Amino acid sequence: MTAQLWAVVTASFLASAVEFVEAFTIVLVVGVTINWRSSLAGTFGAIVALAATVAVFGTALVQVVPIDALRLVVGILLVLFGLKWLKKAILRYAGLKALHDEEAIYEEHLAELRAKGEGTSARLNPFGVTTAFKSVLLEGLEVAFIVITFGIQANDTSQTTGILLAALGAAAALVLVVVVGALVRAPLQRVPENTLKFVVGIMLTTFGTFWGGEGLGIAWLGEDLFLLVLVAFYLAVAGALILWLRPYAPAKATPTAQELEQPAQEEVAG
Amino acid sequence: MNRVLGALKATYNFFAGDAILLVGVALAFVLAALLGEVAKAPNPVVAVVFVGCIISGLATTLGRELKGRKKP
Repeated sequence: MTAQLWAVVTASFLASAVEFVEAFTIVLVVGVTINWRSSLAGTFGAIVALAATVAVFGTALVQVVPIDALRLVVGILLVLFGLKWLKKAILRYAGLKALHDEEAIYEEHLAELRAKGEGTSARLNPFGVTTAFKSVLLEGLEVAFIVITFGIQANDTSQTTGILLAALGAAAALVLVVVVGALVRAPLQRVPENTLKFVVGIMLTTFGTFWGGEGLGIAWLGEDLFLLVLVAFYLAVAGALILWLRPYAPAKATPTAQELEQPAQEEVAG
Repeated sequence: MNRVLGALKATYNFFAGDAILLVGVALAFVLAALLGEVAKAPNPVVAVVFVGCIISGLATTLGRELKGRKKP
């Protein structure tokens, strides 16, 4: 194999790994915070849609799919979902929202389901399915773009060989990301529920801002590395908002450590 | 009619569920698009306005939760 073909495999591996990490992060948080059935259903749906799209368009995909429009739509939805989660988590950390109101209703509903021998973890959650679906679809399309464009550029051999090698690089990246993800899944499920909800809110808002911005034509400094800057920025802003709200919390509404440390899957999205 | 309204309400609740957040996010995307495409503003300006609008929406809706509350 020539140096150029090695370069194609390596570049495809690295670029695809970044995209897979982004998609897998969202699949993982949906699985841990909502349930794995919804997360995997969304992922499977996206893989089917992606396979159909690639099968129909082949290498013409790069010209046919308006990736910026897709980024814009996914970005808008993720920012909306993320802010909704973040708002609730901030209110709870600030002590303005305890396990009252709709959460009490939810707990009651959960108790009823448990009494009937059912659990929320067995039910498909539309929010979870949609979130996993659109993230995997967008990132999967980006990987397809990477494989096709890198593969076509390997011009010292046939395009098919180039694309095949680029696809191998992407597949290796997928295996690596899935293995690492499977290793971190168990520790994640022991994280307190509100902490997870807060982190998910930050992640969804960050990815939504990043993809939405790309869809609008914003060129983020350092490209995908700017995600880390956005995470740090949103964490700082959320921390400042909690400090601002905390003095207004009534003493009795301040959540106890026990309330904040509910298991991760004790609450559905809302 | 009730079914249509119910479906609209369910859609709104699913995607946003908070009018202030929805307006903040809509404003962020519309303003950034106008700045970038129409005014041809520099990239950092568009990015700052975009992220600023998103944060403003969150801060405004959280501020609304303080309505009628006083520091104990």
